[in-house]
Amino acid sequence: MIELKIPKLGLTMEDAKLLSWQCRSGDEVKKDQTIFIIETDKVTFEVTAPTDGIIHPVAKTGETYDVDQTVGYLAENREEYESLLKNYPADMPTHERIDETKEEVVTKREETPPGPAESEKRIKASPLARSMASSHGLNLAEIKGTGPGGRIIREDILGTLKGKEAVGEQEEILPKAVDKDFLGKEPLETIPITGIRRVIYDNMYMSLSQTAQLTLHTEAKGEAFVDFRDRLNKRLVKEEIKFSYNVILVKIVATALRMHPKINASIEGDEIKIWQQIHIGVAMESEDALVVPVIRNPDLKSLNEINRELNELIIKTRENKLLPDDLANGTFTISNLGFADVDFFTPILRPPESAILGVGRIVRKPGIKNGHVIPEAMIGLSLTFDHRIIDGAPGARFLKTVKDMIEAPVLMIV
Amino acid sequence: MTERIISCSDALAEALAEEMERDETIFILGEDITAHDGIFGQFKGLYKRFPEKIIDSPISETCIIGAGVGAALTGMRPLVDMHFADFFTTAMDEIANQAAKIRYMFGGQAKIPLVIWAPDGGGLSAAAQHSQSLESWFIHTPGLKVVVPSEPADVKGLIKTSIRDDDPVIFFQHKRLFSQNGPVPEGEYFIPLGKGDIKREGNDITLITYSRMVYLSLEAADQLAKEGIDVEVIDLRTLKPFDFDLIAESVKKTFHALIVHEACLTGGFGAEIAARIGEELFDYLDAPVVRVGAKDTPIPFSPVLEKFVLPQINDIVEGVKKVLNS
Repeated sequence: MIELKIPKLGLTMEDAKLLSWQCRSGDEVKKDQTIFIIETDKVTFEVTAPTDGIIHPVAKTGETYDVDQTVGYLAENREEYESLLKNYPADMPTHERIDETKEEVVTKREETPPGPAESEKRIKASPLARSMASSHGLNLAEIKGTGPGGRIIREDILGTLKGKEAVGEQEEILPKAVDKDFLGKEPLETIPITGIRRVIYDNMYMSLSQTAQLTLHTEAKGEAFVDFRDRLNKRLVKEEIKFSYNVILVKIVATALRMHPKINASIEGDEIKIWQQIHIGVAMESEDALVVPVIRNPDLKSLNEINRELNELIIKTRENKLLPDDLANGTFTISNLGFADVDFFTPILRPPESAILGVGRIVRKPGIKNGHVIPEAMIGLSLTFDHRIIDGAPGARFLKTVKDMIEAPVLMIV
Repeated sequence: MTERIISCSDALAEALAEEMERDETIFILGEDITAHDGIFGQFKGLYKRFPEKIIDSPISETCIIGAGVGAALTGMRPLVDMHFADFFTTAMDEIANQAAKIRYMFGGQAKIPLVIWAPDGGGLSAAAQHSQSLESWFIHTPGLKVVVPSEPADVKGLIKTSIRDDDPVIFFQHKRLFSQNGPVPEGEYFIPLGKGDIKREGNDITLITYSRMVYLSLEAADQLAKEGIDVEVIDLRTLKPFDFDLIAESVKKTFHALIVHEACLTGGFGAEIAARIGEELFDYLDAPVVRVGAKDTPIPFSPVLEKFVLPQINDIVEGVKKVLNS
């Protein structure tokens, strides 16, 4: 018998919320199959089976558990499973999944408060229908029951699933046939604000409501920067990973922060902490949310090292495998929206960090040289910082340093 | 293995003869069993073959069971005939306080290899004191095993296992089933206690039953099949121990369960099965478990009233529809 515990995904992790079980008690699971999903304040993580076996979940979903706390068991064989069942009764209906929690949220949102008495709110569904709905992620509130007293039964779930299949993908995206003269509005989709979305939601609001943000814009000439990257990439042997502009930007910002240490700071209580370490987060788009994995001490690392690490973080982000440690303790953030033809924007601070650099596209614009108009590659830069602890002039000087280094990357080694 | 068609009575007599031939500690004790081969002819030919092993008793169930318990304690393997299951009442202390408990109270140093053979059930207009189905009394007494076969083949296989069991077994046979014919394999075979049997396979609902109700359920299933309802009929065959695994397997396939027994509904074994299904198969249920049983009243003498009180095919059909809501 193996105890299934909340894994410690990093030094900074103390507990996690059990989001959902991906299997039911008594299911036979294979090694490396996802068996449950947890969520820390930074990531969601799929926990896989350490070996083949028969699973017996005991912990309720939706609750927070400490690292190393046992949430279930994996039996070697049926016999052992039976004894597990007896010795460790589950704290939950075995079919419970996160979908049900979502369901409740949705239901509550759609009903007009103050709603009817609690008992009337309960949706009548057979245990089988409930368990099927939860494993297919269906919202019982949207299914019409045809059983006695309007109870939702297996048939109704099968009907709904069939309907979904028949409708197909295209229909899912397109709005339902809407009456042209319909004056009201109906949700096409209702998404509960939970998990990582809830974290972003709270943090962004907290950031703008509790700090004093000032954004400065400038433009850097980009020829040398583009040339610098091209030269680096030309030197590469085949197997090596190409350098992205972000890699060079991380190095430039880290070097600039060394020269302007007060930008690398946080407010803690009544004190300003100037950080000894520089950890630079690079904003990335994961499947459904913004994540900011962090490069540690890039001021002390070579471009090659930064390149390799950033690439690993990109892969982890894409595969949804970021660990809390990958995201913790950033001191500065770079957000690059150049890919979407953005020139300037006003990035929002990520407290407790005190500054964030927004990077725009590299684009050729008319410039003036020796009295003549010539095309010049320009990069838009937007620096947001917390004006409570960083004054305008030092902030501007930091941005100038970054601009200078982009225009002349050789300054990095000075 | 070849088979022939014989009745439940013949199957019982055949099994007993085979066992008595093999083991000389087996004997049968009961009322009027030498002159009439048993009240239902169930011991046909045995007295002729084993005159010393078929013993007539006084008309006292206390005496019959008491003697059986005593004989079993001294190393014999008696089968005692209750004549009618209804007469258990006068021998309850011997069964519930002695037979069921001796092994445990003597720390396993004594055993009671006793079979108490009892014809039960109604449908013969034999009135309230000769028509009861009393299995629940014994199921509720730890230390006893309870067998309730329906088919001749099951009677033979189960009585042989019961005789060889070292614990007391209450072996019920429904009075209406003695003449029930069915295929019985040639040669020796055994059916373990605690193993049910699927008498009809189906996908829409699991009908759990035993004893005579198996036949009524099969007929109900035939009727329902015409309406497109596919009933799986499980014959439990033994109630203690009982085959919950078989029930679970079936309910996981059909998602619906109906329990049918002739015993009265309240406190009947159906309640136990329903409770286990509720506890262990909750997530597989698409509808509440329903029970069909006799009405909670003494069995009337009047054939019309008796029919009204005992479950009929139509009640089973209605029960299935109640579960399926069709």
